[in-house]
Amino acid sequence: MTRARAEQEERGSGGSRRFTAVVICLFALVVFGILASLAIGRYPISPEQILLALRERFIDAVRTAAGGVFGAQFPQVERSGLLTDQMRAIFFNARLPRVLMACMVGCCLSAAGASYQGVFRNPMASPDILGASSGAAVGAALAILLELDARMVMLFAFTASLLTIALVMLVSGTARGNKLLRIVLAGIMISSLCNAGTSFIKLVADPNDILPEITYWLMGSLAKTRPENLAFVAAPMAVGLAPLILLRWRINILTLSDEEARTMGVNVGLVRVAVIVCATLVTAASVSVSGLIGWVGLVVPHLARKLVGNNYRHLMPASMLVGALFLLVVDNISRNLLLTEIPLGILTAVVGAPFFIWLITRKKESI
Amino acid sequence: MSVLVSDLTFSYGRRRVLDDVSFEARGGELLCVLGPNGVGKSTLFGCVLGLLAPLGGEVLIDGAPVGKIPTRELARKLAFVPQSHAPTFNYSVFDMVLMGTTARVGGISSPGAEQMRAAADSIERVGISHLTGRGYMRISGGERQLTLIARALAQQADVIIMDEPTANLDYGNQLRVLKCVKDLVRKGLTVIQSTHSPDHAFIFADRVLALHGGRVTAFGEPAAVISEELISALYGVRVLIRPGENGVPRCEPII
Repeated sequence: MTRARAEQEERGSGGSRRFTAVVICLFALVVFGILASLAIGRYPISPEQILLALRERFIDAVRTAAGGVFGAQFPQVERSGLLTDQMRAIFFNARLPRVLMACMVGCCLSAAGASYQGVFRNPMASPDILGASSGAAVGAALAILLELDARMVMLFAFTASLLTIALVMLVSGTARGNKLLRIVLAGIMISSLCNAGTSFIKLVADPNDILPEITYWLMGSLAKTRPENLAFVAAPMAVGLAPLILLRWRINILTLSDEEARTMGVNVGLVRVAVIVCATLVTAASVSVSGLIGWVGLVVPHLARKLVGNNYRHLMPASMLVGALFLLVVDNISRNLLLTEIPLGILTAVVGAPFFIWLITRKKESI
Repeated sequence: MSVLVSDLTFSYGRRRVLDDVSFEARGGELLCVLGPNGVGKSTLFGCVLGLLAPLGGEVLIDGAPVGKIPTRELARKLAFVPQSHAPTFNYSVFDMVLMGTTARVGGISSPGAEQMRAAADSIERVGISHLTGRGYMRISGGERQLTLIARALAQQADVIIMDEPTANLDYGNQLRVLKCVKDLVRKGLTVIQSTHSPDHAFIFADRVLALHGGRVTAFGEPAAVISEELISALYGVRVLIRPGENGVPRCEPII
């Protein structure tokens, strides 16, 4: 009897043991992927050199911290002869930030996509559904048109993305009819306005230098990731992801009807707005540094659903890990396949679209 | 635990749907709300569950007006079983039932071991243990309805409100679902459910509330309340009410 019950609970909860196994595997793959990606590149850095460089930095950081606490100066760690200054510069200023950023952006876009799919009860929802990307695009295009520096482009994109969603929520709040439908409709309207704005900026931009830069931004890339970008997006990403993780069980209940959710004790309006705001925050932070990268937020949650089921308690962490791994791999292809960088947006579409077709045409498993 | 509805009035725009509806559901009884399509049974339930704000009158749950009870606290007193539906995502039967325990866990936490036990218990109580790991979208309408009832049980509320639990079910499933509900009521649960069928009310209800034109036309024990005139007034059809062999009357339509 007790054994039957334990079995029943195990089987019923979508396989908690299976989930644990999947998460451990994914986590190991992400860690391995990060280490491997650090070694891959036009400028070869061996795994040994990577570990040496990381060790140097770590000991330096500890010493500086200890120095701050004890008010004493510790001598610098001895520099290994295996590393050159150029190697250090490439490793710490370009490769490491880029690899970490690929994981963070992949993780955020997937978490946002999974959240939007639940909140809007629509398996085809993606992070662009409300126009977060279109908003970011018009902001970035404007900053590039005004010939502002890279930091300002990021800041403009981030702010414009958030403003767009704020506008969408404001418009949908005053519109009448079905709540979910009017949020989505307001999103479609306002993102189409944003697209018009972007097109206009491209029209007036100098076709010799400004226009290509805008076009390149719109195709998405992590090539220009620097440590300061990482520092800029880390906070909004953390602030957005934490509530999504904490509220993940409740997203399940939002996928039912509003009436059901309320009679089950969930404050539907509040949880929904919280999830939308957080998902938008991480999307805005992601696209502000990466440009437009489609497909990740749509395909990855579906892959995660195949792995661990639809229960958001398992789906959310699984989506985040799969997303990190997916974009890491795609970014490696982007920077290593050809002599010139291939924009990420193109690659994610090339990988994502056939993959999605495979997902939806595959024979359904019957549970 | 008591549900007291007094002088409840509700209207959509200018159209009055409920007019001075009053009744009380006693603890441990099965109250059947009888009435034709569109008479306001669902609206009445919406008001009782605090989903709709009435124009006048009030709904008291244990003496407190329903609108003043916080969502989560209300969910611990009243559970709702909607008509069986197809959700967007395919959850396992177990996860679907586990969702019922949400009102029992803190603001941001997920259900723990205790809630898992409650869900497994509820599944056993409605007799669908064999479906535990199956997908909700891949089971039959009757099985879905039983899953939703198990979910309401997992919510551990004293009163369960069911909106036509037998709609869209075949004959066998209707009886299975109603028998399950009746067994739960015998064990102390209070159930308010709506139905079209006077026969179901005869067989399963402790008391009947008949709604017509937004008003209560009859309220009492089924055998005392359901008459040939009432059926003709509610549904516009003529029936003969005959004593059944087991002492339960039944309707026989005159065609």
